[in-house]
Amino acid sequence: MIRVVIADDEAPAREKLERWVAEQPDVTVVGSAEDGLSAAQHIDQLHPDLAFLDIQMPTLSGIQVAAQLEPSSAPLIVFVTAFDEHAVKAFEINAVDYLLKPYDLDRFTHTMQRVRQRLHASQSGAMAVAVGRTQSAGCERLLVPEGERLQLIDAASVEWLQADDNYVHVHTAARTYLLRRTLQDLLSQLGDQRFVRVHKSTAVNLGFVGSLTPLFKGDYEIHLRNGRILRLSRRYRDALFTRMGQ
Amino acid sequence: MSEGTSALVSTGWMWIAVRVHGSHERHLHKPLSWFGSYLRWLPVVCISWITAVYAIRHGIWSAAGRTYEHPSWGFVVVYESLKLTYGAGLWLGVLFGIASYGQWQLQWQRLLRTQEALAEAQLARLQGQLRPHFLFNALNTVSALMHTDVARADRLVAALGDLLRISLRSNEHEMTPLAEELRTLGLYAGIMLERFRDRVTLDWQTDQALLATPVPALLLQPLLENVFKHGVEPTVAHVRITVSVRREAGSVELVIGNSGFMLAPEQADGVGLRNCRERLSIIYGNTASLLVHNEGDGVAARVLIPLPDTIQ
Repeated sequence: MIRVVIADDEAPAREKLERWVAEQPDVTVVGSAEDGLSAAQHIDQLHPDLAFLDIQMPTLSGIQVAAQLEPSSAPLIVFVTAFDEHAVKAFEINAVDYLLKPYDLDRFTHTMQRVRQRLHASQSGAMAVAVGRTQSAGCERLLVPEGERLQLIDAASVEWLQADDNYVHVHTAARTYLLRRTLQDLLSQLGDQRFVRVHKSTAVNLGFVGSLTPLFKGDYEIHLRNGRILRLSRRYRDALFTRMGQ
Repeated sequence: MSEGTSALVSTGWMWIAVRVHGSHERHLHKPLSWFGSYLRWLPVVCISWITAVYAIRHGIWSAAGRTYEHPSWGFVVVYESLKLTYGAGLWLGVLFGIASYGQWQLQWQRLLRTQEALAEAQLARLQGQLRPHFLFNALNTVSALMHTDVARADRLVAALGDLLRISLRSNEHEMTPLAEELRTLGLYAGIMLERFRDRVTLDWQTDQALLATPVPALLLQPLLENVFKHGVEPTVAHVRITVSVRREAGSVELVIGNSGFMLAPEQADGVGLRNCRERLSIIYGNTASLLVHNEGDGVAARVLIPLPDTIQ
């Protein structure tokens, strides 16, 4: 069975999709969301194979939801939109699946056909995630787990990131969040405007860097404004200096 | 010598005429009252001119030990007055020409600016009314409803058709009875309420006695659009919208208010609001107003339109 999450803030639009999805013999709707945040939550908890994401939704747009997912584990994503010229252009270039409202049963069936082929070829939603990230420039907000729920925090409030196997500790002044993501993937989502890698397992928010102290062999100590000291390894030194020099 | 004194005093008067021309500009479109507003000073000019010129001449002549000879005072007054009237007429003609040209240029520039603003406003209004996003979403709602409630889907298609017809038909200057404006607003609201079912309630409070009042066509729709765009679409919380029409002194007060979201401080007006203000000022000058402000736990857009005399 193909497990599907549907997200659209307009009830009639949601019901139409639910109806048509339910009519497919090999598909079952596991979750239905009225806004972006609960869509992300459903995807996080239910691990569906497929998600229909409306683009214009409260809290997070469908594109922003996609941008927050981890590419390798993301479900296949079909964006649904009434009119969004720029987004549609991006979808066409990257061959991401999308449905334009209003759509008929033929168009929907065709989309489901493609979804089946892609699932058969074990494709993930990586393409949609990539499109989401380029479309929602730099990701100003980050989705983090807070107990059983997900919540949005301001990317600018993150002081530094610490890799821990397949997890990342996201440090803010208030507290630390644990994300099941790789550091590299998280950095690619956050963009390189604000964060820069300083070690195999750490990255800092440039806004929180206080001073640097040289150590032996070209390594440095980074003193963050909050008093914490991180190690800057030679490998990442030049990149950081270039960024700080700018 | 005698010509010198006349020239000196005349120049003084001509200079005064130029200095005061600013205060006469409002009469420029009525040449008679413009000339009149100057010429009523002619007796004063004549008497003071004759007194001044002849006093100077007598003074100079007697200083030189001679007597200034001139015809009888009666002849002098009539003769000089005629000459002065003629001279003043010529000078005022020149002044009138210069002032008119200045005024014409000013108005021409103003006209060009107005035309530009109008064209922009028209474009914005068209884009606002036929916003593709609204249309496609409405069509999708219809396509969803068809499977569950054919009668409701049918009503929605009819409402959409009516709304499109009205949008295409009405122009910038068209006035419509308030009853008709509210009906159009109702069509729009009906479609939006179907789309955002369970998330919005809409209340109408209408003073029935005002329904015949002429108001600018499609003035209110952008205000309701704003409520949906800024208040309903970005949140999952329930929003209560109130449309109220009542008499406020010599005006009709139209208020579109909502609960649940507030204006950010110093939030700039969007195209919709600017356009409404523009239309109100074109039609009513400064006797109509549009204010958008936080009120209670929400925002109220308040339009005041003067009642025509017949209804007052």
